[in-house]
Amino acid sequence: MRAVAGGFVAGAVALTLVATGAQAQTSSEEYTATIWIDPDGCEHWVMDDGAEGYMDARRTRDGGAVCHRSEICGVIPSDQLFVTDEAWISDAAKSDLMNFFRSANAYGFLIYGHTDARASDEYNMSLSQRRADMVASVARDSGVQVVDVKGFGERQPRAQGNSAAALQQNRRVEIYCIR
Amino acid sequence: MTSIKITALLVAGLGLSACGLDQGMRTGAERSFDGGRDSKHLSQLVAGVWIDQEGCDHWIIDDGIEGYLSARLTPDGRPVCSVVGAPNTVVGPFREGSDIPDSL
Repeated sequence: MRAVAGGFVAGAVALTLVATGAQAQTSSEEYTATIWIDPDGCEHWVMDDGAEGYMDARRTRDGGAVCHRSEICGVIPSDQLFVTDEAWISDAAKSDLMNFFRSANAYGFLIYGHTDARASDEYNMSLSQRRADMVASVARDSGVQVVDVKGFGERQPRAQGNSAAALQQNRRVEIYCIR
Repeated sequence: MTSIKITALLVAGLGLSACGLDQGMRTGAERSFDGGRDSKHLSQLVAGVWIDQEGCDHWIIDDGIEGYLSARLTPDGRPVCSVVGAPNTVVGPFREGSDIPDSL
């Protein structure tokens, strides 16, 4: 008796869910957004509904911003700054970097380290973080503001494949300017 | 066929905007244009930066009748907290798109 009643309740719940789903479907309305590109070069969804306006950042499914590469101000090949597996910078390279930061005419900088895919993911995350931190400390020494510093290891390759040329492109420090 | 439809929608959007406010009556691609003041395309909005109480940046735009606010993001989608101003302040030309005074 009780089992029968339980089955009835479950059935009613299932029916309610189906009905709600159907209702949501029929109330859909066309609502087309356009794209606004912010001063950093990143996209936002925007709609003007007459008196109201709506806006939200456009993201990829993994949460990343959708940006145009024009906002990047410098990509430094790691080979130009660092010895393999090291995170220190020579005095000559440091002086070049300081000149770059001083002449970039930016309010602040986002600094991101990347490695190639040799060695383990964990090792590369740590190495890229230490290299990004080193470039950030040069930036601070040259008197500019560092807004964000992060190492991405081998997770965001610039070039695909395992050729020497691809690996070299992937070993890099990217610098974004905020104006 | 599709391109003709889109053109028709764009023309309809401009026509409605020219008549003044059309609150809540807009559909589809009409929403890509400013409906209140000058019917410019929304890609031309001029933004300032509003700093939230965490110290992180949002783009803020006062376009007359409409206001827009959207997060400033790093390339991997985290908030940009540039300390360009104190929390609860606005920096930059965010009212440039508006000649309507704010009474608030």
